[in-house]
Amino acid sequence: MNIRQAFKMAFRSILGNKGRSVLTMLGIIIGIASVMTIVSTINGMNQQSLKQFEAMGTNKITVSAQRYDGQDVFQDLYDYCLQLSDYVEGVTPNSTLWNVNVVYGTKSSKAMEKNQENMGNSDGMSGTDVELPPNMYLGSDQYAVCNNFQIEKGRDLSFLDIQKYNQVCVLGAQAARNFFGYADPVGQTMSVNGYPFTVVGVYREKDPDSQWSQDNIIVFPYTMSRILSPGETFSEFSVKARSAEAAVEATSRISGYLTGLMGQNQEKGYFWVDSNNQWQNSYNEQATMMSVVLGGIAAISLLVGGIGIMNIMLVTVTERTREIGIRRAIGAERSSIVTQFLIEAAMLCGIGGIIGIAFGTLATRLAGRLLIQIDIWPSVTITLGAFALSVALGVLFGIYPAAKASKLQPVEALRAE
Amino acid sequence: MLIQINDVYKIYGEGLESEVRALDGVTLSIDRGEFVAIVGQSGSGKSTMMNVLGCLDIPTRGDYFLDGTNVRELTDKELSHIRNRQIGFIFQQYNLIQNLNVLENVELPLIYQGINADDRHDMAMEALERVGLAGRVKHRPAEMSGGQQQRVAIARAIATHPPIIMADEPTGALDSHTGHEVLQFLQQLNREGTTVILITHDNGIAATAPRCVRLQDGKIVEDREQEVDWL
Ligand SMILES: Nc1ncnc2c1ncn2[C@@H]1O[C@H](COP(=O)(O)OP(=O)(O)OP(=O)(O)O)[C@@H](O)[C@H]1O
Ligand SMILES: [Mg+2]
Repeated sequence: MNIRQAFKMAFRSILGNKGRSVLTMLGIIIGIASVMTIVSTINGMNQQSLKQFEAMGTNKITVSAQRYDGQDVFQDLYDYCLQLSDYVEGVTPNSTLWNVNVVYGTKSSKAMEKNQENMGNSDGMSGTDVELPPNMYLGSDQYAVCNNFQIEKGRDLSFLDIQKYNQVCVLGAQAARNFFGYADPVGQTMSVNGYPFTVVGVYREKDPDSQWSQDNIIVFPYTMSRILSPGETFSEFSVKARSAEAAVEATSRISGYLTGLMGQNQEKGYFWVDSNNQWQNSYNEQATMMSVVLGGIAAISLLVGGIGIMNIMLVTVTERTREIGIRRAIGAERSSIVTQFLIEAAMLCGIGGIIGIAFGTLATRLAGRLLIQIDIWPSVTITLGAFALSVALGVLFGIYPAAKASKLQPVEALRAE
Repeated sequence: MLIQINDVYKIYGEGLESEVRALDGVTLSIDRGEFVAIVGQSGSGKSTMMNVLGCLDIPTRGDYFLDGTNVRELTDKELSHIRNRQIGFIFQQYNLIQNLNVLENVELPLIYQGINADDRHDMAMEALERVGLAGRVKHRPAEMSGGQQQRVAIARAIATHPPIIMADEPTGALDSHTGHEVLQFLQQLNREGTTVILITHDNGIAATAPRCVRLQDGKIVEDREQEVDWL
């Protein structure tokens, strides 16, 4: 019997018993689809939150500190961080500017604030195209390092800009688009509360999908507080550590230093030091726990699916032992029997697997949209892994009993009920 | 001699309290072209005998020569070939494959012979015409009466034109009229030169065979030739 015949025979056998074939495939479809959906969704969630944390800046330490005598803390903190350069990569005030109007041509941040208010009043969804007002910050030359920005065009704020009170600013990608469209902002002059400020650079886009974008920002040298928010002293700072371990060390040293500055009982001022890593860690712990739980569910569903496949295969083969006996009696060799069952199992599992992958992909994308509002595609590894496992199970349990039955004397197989 | 068994035993559970000697030292020769009825009471070892003669089972002890070849020395593959080309089986329970239609069932032994689709179809149709079922080739076995199913089984047995037909109670599940037709068909095959071995517990049927071998408790107790009217 040639292989083409064996294929035809397997095909006829599959069509010949549609009920049995559908049941077998159903086990595989459900197995693959559920495992794919669960594992892919977890994967997507973890990647999403990792992306968020990375965009926010990992190993970032937030410092709040203020002296009651109104004297500025930043210069002291800056100098101290220079000493910690083994642990610290950068330090900047993290101060939001309020009541500042930025104007370029016909665009102004005040008008954009109006947009935002109108959007809040209406349905809220029409706002996708609406230009929202930029968030404006005063920062040091290390603002970019601390907040994970990179320069796309032009240059970053420099130490000289700070020292010389240069009237310059750097734009986030979204803010650049809102004010300049597709034109190059670098070298252009914007009016900020009536003062001319030159745009020296644009940051690279971090997160193109998000509406409340981290990219809709304008950063000014912090010494510009002189004209943009007169009388303000800084109380919020960001410190960027070189690594997770460095963050721990820097956190405790800065706390120590500020204790010295403010007094043991914070008589001269208050402070508060917090490492973002702390809540990233606690998030990671939760995520790990969830992975374990959901991974367990996936394993169980795979097990259940696998047992289902195994069962139906075993049941049909017992049922088919008699058929094997008949085929052997009229002259089938062992190898023909095994080949036929192998091809049958492979065909069923293959078709079931492909349908399962289709359903799994659909379910994964739905789960991503509905549960966590992100776009997930199942990874190739997971897809192929689930497919391979189910096919392996189906073929194994499809062929093993057949091989066993074909080893019986034909008369014994014929006796099977 | 076409078939020759010497002092053959088939023993189940040998050495145990419950030991059963289904065949207990049987010696028998059958010549080409003979029509032999093997008769005996239930449990006397008739089916066991056919299974051994048909290479469906291996005897516990004793030699079996088929056309001069010692069957014990053959591989499983060679035994499959013998069953496929030399012997046509007709079983009491028909033993058709339920998921295949009538034509596919009859084609099955031809598929295992490696015969191409066109020839296979012609040979199967020819066999079905002989049993008068050429008009129902697309039906499933379950859609047919017992007598029709047995005729399908006969068509399957003769499709390969085997030199030997072995029939185990082929009329057992049929009414007497249909049974008689099956019997006449076997006689016709024998007249055309096929060696027929017919297993039955029915003395009336045994009386229509030119040679009758009687089994009792796994032993041959009688082996006689008789005059019949159909030859
Ligand atoms: N697989 C087996 N295991 C144990 N004993 C068996 C087995 N097959 C047959 N026997 C025994 O061997 C003896 C002969 O059985 P066999 O089927 O050959 O009888 P038979 O003459 O065909 O009977 P019947 O007319 O009822 O079909 C019986 O006693 C039976 O119980
Ligand atoms: Mg019997």
